[in-house]
Amino acid sequence: MASPRVRRGSVALLALAVLYVIAAQVGRGRLPDRIWMGAHYVENVQLLPTWRSLAEEGAFLLESGILLGSALVSTRRVALGLFLGSVAGIILGLLTGWGARAESLADPWVTLFRFTPALALLPLYVVWFGYGEASKVLLIATNVAVITLFGAHHGVRGVPRVYLDAAASLGASRWLRFRRIVLPAAFPSIFTSIRIAAGLAWVTIVVAELIDARMPSLGYLLALSGAYPRVPTMLIGIATVGGLVLVFDLLALLLHARATRWMGRAE
Amino acid sequence: MTANASPPLLEALDVSYTYPGLTPTQALEGLSLEVKENEFLALLGPVGCGKTTLLRIFAGFLRPTKGSVRCAGSSIEGPGWQRGYVLQEPSIFPWMTVRENLEFGLLAKGVAPAARRVVSDELLGLIGLSAFEAAFPKELSTGMSKMVEVARVLATDPSILLLDEPFGALDAQTRARMQDALAGLWERRRKTVLFVTHDAEEALYLGDRIVVLSPRPGKVKAHFAVDLPRPRSLETRFSAGFLAIKRKVWEATGTGP
Repeated sequence: MASPRVRRGSVALLALAVLYVIAAQVGRGRLPDRIWMGAHYVENVQLLPTWRSLAEEGAFLLESGILLGSALVSTRRVALGLFLGSVAGIILGLLTGWGARAESLADPWVTLFRFTPALALLPLYVVWFGYGEASKVLLIATNVAVITLFGAHHGVRGVPRVYLDAAASLGASRWLRFRRIVLPAAFPSIFTSIRIAAGLAWVTIVVAELIDARMPSLGYLLALSGAYPRVPTMLIGIATVGGLVLVFDLLALLLHARATRWMGRAE
Repeated sequence: MTANASPPLLEALDVSYTYPGLTPTQALEGLSLEVKENEFLALLGPVGCGKTTLLRIFAGFLRPTKGSVRCAGSSIEGPGWQRGYVLQEPSIFPWMTVRENLEFGLLAKGVAPAARRVVSDELLGLIGLSAFEAAFPKELSTGMSKMVEVARVLATDPSILLLDEPFGALDAQTRARMQDALAGLWERRRKTVLFVTHDAEEALYLGDRIVVLSPRPGKVKAHFAVDLPRPRSLETRFSAGFLAIKRKVWEATGTGP
């Protein structure tokens, strides 16, 4: 199932890389290398770095340990936030979905958080939880929780009536119906929301790290490369974040496929 | 209802049901019905006459707006395994294997795994799906899934089966095979059955008795006793006795000559 998709995906990525290399070679010497930064001109800017300067920059970032260290720190934050947020969001979503009373209680709060962008919460979290790890992880967790809450809530609400009726008719208690009917039937929806939340967690971490900038972190690496500006560093930073999002998504997909073997086909 | 020797196991007394809403729809009006123990009663009526509504009332999912429903003498208060209910829509649990589906009712009753296995083994044999015990429902045909649903209900040994057009979605051949399978099941495991259908031939082939409902709002229009010998077969379908009752039923449903 996965192999033709993986193959097609790899071909697409490779094609993109080749196109980029061609564009960079064509642009070499033709693109301006002097840009206005608002207050002064910066010389020797590579708008489209060639693969050679990308390789050199990559080698430097790898050898110095900057890239690996940054990736590790950011991944740890994302993973922690994703875990905490998913647990909280799914539990709340299941509760609000399964209990009619809890829903009316939770609805306005969920809506409020849902349409509040992560950045809006950031200053508040910094004041509440300080400049350290807590505010970054909790910011991710909040965003993840809102998405997974919706996924779980709608998953539970969308469980076809027939299954619940059939189970009730077979004498299943409310708890058994929840465990053996609602949970498996809501699972695909919950899992989709986790995938979306994982992507969003990476968006959030980059933003969070740009504001409270500290090495090592991918967010700060990007911020620094923007300040100089050093386009090769930027591109490598962006590619690293993109690659990590891809890895997270693939992991989620693998888990999803394993857990939904009963379905005709995994999406 | 007082003259008969055996008391009805299932009865509806002057039942009316109106679906609430902006335009309330009356589905049943003053319907009285009784099903005796071990009787196979076929409830026949046109689409939209309230057959499903009546079955959902018997199953305990709806409360009659007027009148009362009783099972073994006591009022029906909610769903329960004593009245095994097979819904019209596919309701086999897709995330459970065939065996898990069959054992669900026993799981709900807190029966130990070993004892559940004994029952599911027997049921798998009964419906001829032993080879599919570990399969997920996506691998089954519609007809097979329906038989699993019927067998799943039998696992807890209910006193009554409520079957809502179980073979409505099948082609004629599969349907006939499923009818034979159900008849065979019923002859081995005598149960009181209330079988809803809109197909007169199906009602005749399976039922001991047929109750014909009128179009909405549904009420009892006619009764027929089907005293054809069992087990019934393809021969039965073309016998003079069968065709004679079929003609009467068609006339009663208002579609005859």
